[in-house]
Amino acid sequence: MPRENWQKGKMKKKTLLVLVVALVASTMIFASGDKEKKSGSVSSYKIGFIGPLTGDNANYGVMSRDAAIIAIDEVNAAGGINGTPVEFIAEDSEGTVEKGLSAIEKLAESDKIISLVGPVFTGPTFAVGDRCQNQGIPLITGSATHADITNIGDMIFRTVVSDGLQGEVAGHYFYEVLGYRNLAVLYAKNDYSQGLYKSMSTAFESLGGKIVDAETCMIGDKDFKTQLTKIKQLKPDAIYIPDYTVEMAQILEQAANLEVGAPFLSCDGFSNPVIFDLAGEYTDGVVYIAPAQVLKSEAYDKFVAKYQAAYGISPDSFATNVYDATKIEIEALKRCVAKGTVTRAAMRDEIAATKNYVGVGGLINFAENGDLIAYQGVYKVKGITPEYLGAFKVVDGKIQQVK
Amino acid sequence: MFNFFLLILIYTGIYALMALGQNLITGYTGMLSLCQAGFFAIGSYATAILTTRYGWSFWGTLPVAALLSALFGVLIGLPTLRLKGDYLAIATLGFGEIVRNVLNNWDSLTGGPMGIQRIPMVTIFGFTINPYKKVAFLIMVIIFVLVTYYLFERLGRSRMGRALQAIRDDEIAADAMGINITKYKVWAFAIGASVAGIAGSLQTVYSLSVTPGSYTFMVSVLVLCMVVLGGMGNFAAVILGAFIIQLISYFPQLVGLSGVIPPQFKQILFGAILVVMMIWRPQGIIGVRSYMVGRKNSKKVEVSNELA
Amino acid sequence: MGSISEFFQHLMNGLTLGGIYALIALGYTMVYGILKFINFAHGDILMFGAYIGLFVFNFLRGDSPLGTWTFISFFIAMLISMIVTGALGVAIERIAYKPLRKASRLAPLLSAIGVSFILSNGAAWMWGTQSRKLEYPFDNAPFTVGGVVITPHQVMILIVSLIMMLALIIFVNNTRMGKAMRAVSLDQDTSRLMGINVNSVISLTFAIGSALAASGGMLIALDFKVYPSMGMMIGLKAFVAAVVGGIGNIGGAMLGGILLGLLETFGVAILGIPPAMKDTISFGILILVLLVKPEGLLGKAVREKV
Repeated sequence: MPRENWQKGKMKKKTLLVLVVALVASTMIFASGDKEKKSGSVSSYKIGFIGPLTGDNANYGVMSRDAAIIAIDEVNAAGGINGTPVEFIAEDSEGTVEKGLSAIEKLAESDKIISLVGPVFTGPTFAVGDRCQNQGIPLITGSATHADITNIGDMIFRTVVSDGLQGEVAGHYFYEVLGYRNLAVLYAKNDYSQGLYKSMSTAFESLGGKIVDAETCMIGDKDFKTQLTKIKQLKPDAIYIPDYTVEMAQILEQAANLEVGAPFLSCDGFSNPVIFDLAGEYTDGVVYIAPAQVLKSEAYDKFVAKYQAAYGISPDSFATNVYDATKIEIEALKRCVAKGTVTRAAMRDEIAATKNYVGVGGLINFAENGDLIAYQGVYKVKGITPEYLGAFKVVDGKIQQVK
Repeated sequence: MFNFFLLILIYTGIYALMALGQNLITGYTGMLSLCQAGFFAIGSYATAILTTRYGWSFWGTLPVAALLSALFGVLIGLPTLRLKGDYLAIATLGFGEIVRNVLNNWDSLTGGPMGIQRIPMVTIFGFTINPYKKVAFLIMVIIFVLVTYYLFERLGRSRMGRALQAIRDDEIAADAMGINITKYKVWAFAIGASVAGIAGSLQTVYSLSVTPGSYTFMVSVLVLCMVVLGGMGNFAAVILGAFIIQLISYFPQLVGLSGVIPPQFKQILFGAILVVMMIWRPQGIIGVRSYMVGRKNSKKVEVSNELA
Repeated sequence: MGSISEFFQHLMNGLTLGGIYALIALGYTMVYGILKFINFAHGDILMFGAYIGLFVFNFLRGDSPLGTWTFISFFIAMLISMIVTGALGVAIERIAYKPLRKASRLAPLLSAIGVSFILSNGAAWMWGTQSRKLEYPFDNAPFTVGGVVITPHQVMILIVSLIMMLALIIFVNNTRMGKAMRAVSLDQDTSRLMGINVNSVISLTFAIGSALAASGGMLIALDFKVYPSMGMMIGLKAFVAAVVGGIGNIGGAMLGGILLGLLETFGVAILGIPPAMKDTISFGILILVLLVKPEGLLGKAVREKV
């Protein structure tokens, strides 16, 4: 350091010292205040949430969080659990591993949550799931679909089917029931979308079908004309678009404007009614695979009405899954309280013991590894109204309708 | 609470390494680079790939991460050295985005959007540095920061450090004095990139999971802010800058406000701090005005920007 | 590539994408040309303009069907959005950039990044993160010319960006205010001595640049929808286009935009680059151009003065 700066630097040191002391002191003050609040008997049960609340994918995190809040509000409006309210603490992951880890650290160590809902996307879920497993915090995710998520350990559950299962049903349905032989795919380079593409194409090709073209895009892309122009020339029987709502709305509109003509096939991302606001003129005839029964129950209609009243938009199937996940955690918590042992381990056992829970998204049972046992439903859109064609499963390499 | 504070310190240490490198590039040499995130990602993935796929130990991957990042530093440095100020910033920003884009698309090497999971923990002399128990990990990070700090201080006072400062203050004069500008600039870029690569390795063994979504442009901006806030050209100040920025970033979570205030407030506050800081104290907390890069009154304009 | 019509279809797609980049790049290049700094918040100002336009248009339109009134109300909405957003631009300049005019290059760049954070997150907080649809004020049914399918919106984007470019060139070259702008861009101190009110010229530059962004934002939103981060990536690409064409050069912004759109499209269509790597194409071109001709395709190189 040159001398002149060194001397000035010396003078600055005092300012610096004051600044650091002030920062640390303010931290301590906040911290002690924090502790005072906590001493005393259990004033509330805490359930945490992690999802992207800011950044590019904030939309999906916010919808999921809002759904969980409805579930929490319901139990608190009914007087909580034996008079003790359930506290819901949502943390922002910004869709990154780094922020996901700081979020779980805060929830686990500072808030001492009893269980976690989320994370929303697969990427941070691996890192957060590892910590949860390590620290014994049960977790239910409503939207992380990667097949390996539940292999992290016995603390991990989900109320969404793995993309492997959905893609398998999709591949069989497209080939066996719809009779398509040549498919084009336009998927996003993101864990969810790519996972669906891979499992669907594996099943479809194993039956003898052919993927004539697999085009990619990025989440957040708005212009798909290049990919659609390429696909149009290949004249596929149909186009599979396992993407998110906003991207699919763009694809449908631009495909219509390019007069592509082939019918579109989709995934549970299509269950978001926002698609009909964004691209209602172009949704007629789309067939999509999503959790079975979503549109059939009265409970579902009630939930949608509540969600609409609170937020002005309709929930998608991920938000529905998160609502069910939160409800299951609340029910498990109730059983823990009734038995008198409110610990994370007890929570985990009660969640695992969930049997035939009637959620708004259908009947929920967990497999041994924490995966959701569910059938896939097939829907066909007429105008802007999805019609339920029934539930399907694949048995011995053949698709079967579940009665 | 205490554990969360340890986490902030670990993140501070990892970012401080990147900031030290950025300081050499921007504070010392006056090159406005915006791609520490790219080098960070390269280091992260080098460690993740070598440990999971080829069974290397973390310590073996460190030099690879450093060298690989340095190599890319040279690759991006050599051609863009002729650019000044904003042009260099935008070219390096582009490079950072390319790195992320490639990581997201090169499935066979990087696992694509899924990233790489189940990265083994660091072991040293049979002792596992478990990131879940933060103290040992923090000590390791602090040692890395101290060693790097010491080396950079030495470097700053050396012949090379003086040459870099001379280049920053007046490139033409430095050239006239016989300083090999290209050589020194490339070295600065390579060294600055290599510590960012090492920071990436540390990040990998802390999170034990890497995904391309974590290495956004935002990371580069944060690192630059650490350098500017601390004080350009002063390595100790840069570490302080890293601490302050991380403390601000995680303050709502630290004191339990994050669940109460809207999540966007953190980013809005951060933006406001940037604006206020630039107006009120652009030289940083510890810093003097002469340490600013790319002064406008120096009549060095390479490109005609007039409206035509 | 299969057929001639496919080639022309790609050409049309590339041209429209390029037109969109050009539309934003024009505003970027104007501010840079005069103030020599990257207004990183330009994309977010565009987003703000699109939201204002959306709200005013939906309010005016009510439930009225497609027709003359929707067309008129769209233009009223655009006008109001341009005025409001122009005022926002001036305010941002006054608060965040003006105190930094004499500072180093770094200070206004970081300040602009700060403004960008504030705007995009502020919008997400106030208006939510979901995409909203801006209805077409006209019938956007596609028509076919020689096997190429074209929508009226595509044609409009190209025409509007061309008109805007010509208007800007005429304004800068042939009006008193334009001359003052050019003077300020060359030398602020001398301009002041010549009796030019530098502050008001800079304010006007921001007002025009932001108003351009607002109108561009509305036109783009017809296809791309309105959401808080809509200006981010497209703003960055537009900046790349402006640099490739030669920043500060109005014709260059147009050229750079069109070129970028075409290269992104044909890079995918002919070279078979995965579409998910479009960003790599753009930034790769940027680095390449900066290497070969740092002043941009239409920029003028000036010898370094000692």
